[in-house]
Amino acid sequence: MLKILATTAKEVLLLLRDRTGLLVLFLMPAILVVVITLVQENVMELTGQSKTQVLLLDQDQGELGRLLRKQLEAGSLEFVVWDEKQNDVADIQAAVAGGDYQVGIVVPNGASTRFKEETARLFQQGNGPAKPEDIVSTSLHLFVDPGIMAGLRSGVTAQLQMALTTIALEAKIAMLSKTLRETMDSLGAPPELIPLDSGKLHALFRQSILTLTEDQGDSRAAGISLYNPVQQNVPAWALFGMFFTAIPIAGSILQERRSGISIRLSALPVSPLVLFTGKAVAYIGVCLCQFLLIVLIGTFLFPHIGLPCFTISMNLTAVLLTALLSSLAACGYGIFLGVACNSYEQASTLGATTVVAAAALGGVMVPVYAMPHMMQRLSIISPLNWGLTAFHDLLLRGYSLPAILDNLGRLFLFFAVTVLLSWKLARLRQ
Amino acid sequence: MDETTFMKPGNASLSEPGPNVALCARSLVKRYKNSDHPALHNFNLDVQQGEFYGLLGPNGAGKTTAISILTGLFPPDSGIVRIMGMVFRERQNEIKQILGLVPQNIGLYDKLTARENLTFFGKLCGIRGKKLTARIQQSLVFSRLTEHALQPVATFSTGMKRRLNLAVGLLNAPQVLVLDEPCVGIDAQSRHLIHEQLQDLNQRGTTILYTTHYIEEAQELCSRIGIIDNGRIVEEGTPTALLQQSGIANLEDLFLHLTGKELRDT
Repeated sequence: MLKILATTAKEVLLLLRDRTGLLVLFLMPAILVVVITLVQENVMELTGQSKTQVLLLDQDQGELGRLLRKQLEAGSLEFVVWDEKQNDVADIQAAVAGGDYQVGIVVPNGASTRFKEETARLFQQGNGPAKPEDIVSTSLHLFVDPGIMAGLRSGVTAQLQMALTTIALEAKIAMLSKTLRETMDSLGAPPELIPLDSGKLHALFRQSILTLTEDQGDSRAAGISLYNPVQQNVPAWALFGMFFTAIPIAGSILQERRSGISIRLSALPVSPLVLFTGKAVAYIGVCLCQFLLIVLIGTFLFPHIGLPCFTISMNLTAVLLTALLSSLAACGYGIFLGVACNSYEQASTLGATTVVAAAALGGVMVPVYAMPHMMQRLSIISPLNWGLTAFHDLLLRGYSLPAILDNLGRLFLFFAVTVLLSWKLARLRQ
Repeated sequence: MDETTFMKPGNASLSEPGPNVALCARSLVKRYKNSDHPALHNFNLDVQQGEFYGLLGPNGAGKTTAISILTGLFPPDSGIVRIMGMVFRERQNEIKQILGLVPQNIGLYDKLTARENLTFFGKLCGIRGKKLTARIQQSLVFSRLTEHALQPVATFSTGMKRRLNLAVGLLNAPQVLVLDEPCVGIDAQSRHLIHEQLQDLNQRGTTILYTTHYIEEAQELCSRIGIIDNGRIVEEGTPTALLQQSGIANLEDLFLHLTGKELRDT
């Protein structure tokens, strides 16, 4: 134990003496988490996971435009209304095509009047033998940014179509009610026999008969916030930073080998496993500090730069355990790199490449569900995926410790295997 | 041992080590991958307790391989090593407690101070508490680095580093001390100090195995010298006996006579 502590103390001293190296270890994930989260906040807009801005040019200035806004503002669309006197259809088309807005709608001049007239005409055709006349549809112009993803395009189009259908249906029922009332009045029927009172019609129409309720399971009970780039990126980039410490760990082992220190260490009554453990303990401290820093950035800095606040649910112990085991796995990999490589150049190139590849495969950069099917299946081999899945299970799905034990076990096993391999390899190297 | 004692190499292989043998190697063979010739070939060596033994040899003769095997850095392909009567592969940990190695490379952490280096290596030797504090103090005095104890090793001259390198090797007060070219690249003052201290240690009973390129250094320090070439000891004896036996005037000429004048650019 004394020898492990001595090795840890020595590593801590060496880390503290290399302030630039230490700063890079903390700055790199800190910068990445801020930049990537800010970038992905925009991606969330493009994919429709945050409010989409709709540019509205209401040349009509009638009831149709007002009803449309009323229908849509309750959903995930946010209207930006342009002055119809200063802008025309070409302006709105250019703004959307240029990517300034994702969607643009133009309500043409006279649309409300035409809509009313055509609705009235529906019920003025009488009940004779003549074939029903075709109604002239009132058309609104829609522009969609060609750069937005297909899912968002169909989502926005569906919302707009639904709003127009609702407006048309309300207008038809109102007109039907009016026609019925007039007919029954002319027949001398008492008002209470009229099925739809125009005064009550709107309130009755708004009442839901069929609803769709999303069951959020444990996550709602645990006060878990819905998926957002912060909840994804804070653990993801903290993990990335933690695994990047593999490179300085490997560097410290290679430095010992290059300078001849390892020869002296081999001649001392101390096992390489003790030296590896001491080194790992020091770097686990670094990894946990990195994790803490990224969590603090997510919690305290993000709200000041327009991002949602990072929240850790009630499973704080499980979150810390996941961070600890991820650190162990990262340190194990660093030790393996240091023993397996022949030079720092080799270790830094191989380390950076493998960590970035494992991060991409593990869902740090793109969520696993957004990957092709084959890559989704491959992602299971990435230790960063085990850590990230465990974090997501805790932070997004509201699971507790037993639910993530499989991934925690994998992380620990990875550490044990890499350290044992390093030990074997160190003996073989001799 | 009598100053004129001259032992033909190979005798050691025929006999079991005596009770006073501190370091004994028998029939060591080591062959590296991708090499046609073995680095050690039937290498035999006996170093008596309290002896100051010098191992001389040209580049590639097998000195570093021999020292590495004798200090347990790696095992031989075949053969046996005993330190103070204990077989290395059986009692490695006990042997490492009484064995000191001063490697040719300065195996110190540049960013740590002299005291921090001594503390770390001392703790790895299993020394703790007041004993460790006392050993560190002795080592600093021994290496004449007391005033520089709190300076990072990176700021030291080569001579200071070499002295500290030696002091670290002595932290566990070894009964057997193995030094691999401990005076390479240092000034005359530091070399003189190291020589004085090694002689003092030897007089106090420490067995020393010393490799060097400097023949006059071996002649000055060692009570017995072995000349190694092609992975085995080709001649062995006290400096006086070696010269008398060969009829050659000085050790350097004897060395060249035994190992040849061809350059060894291995």
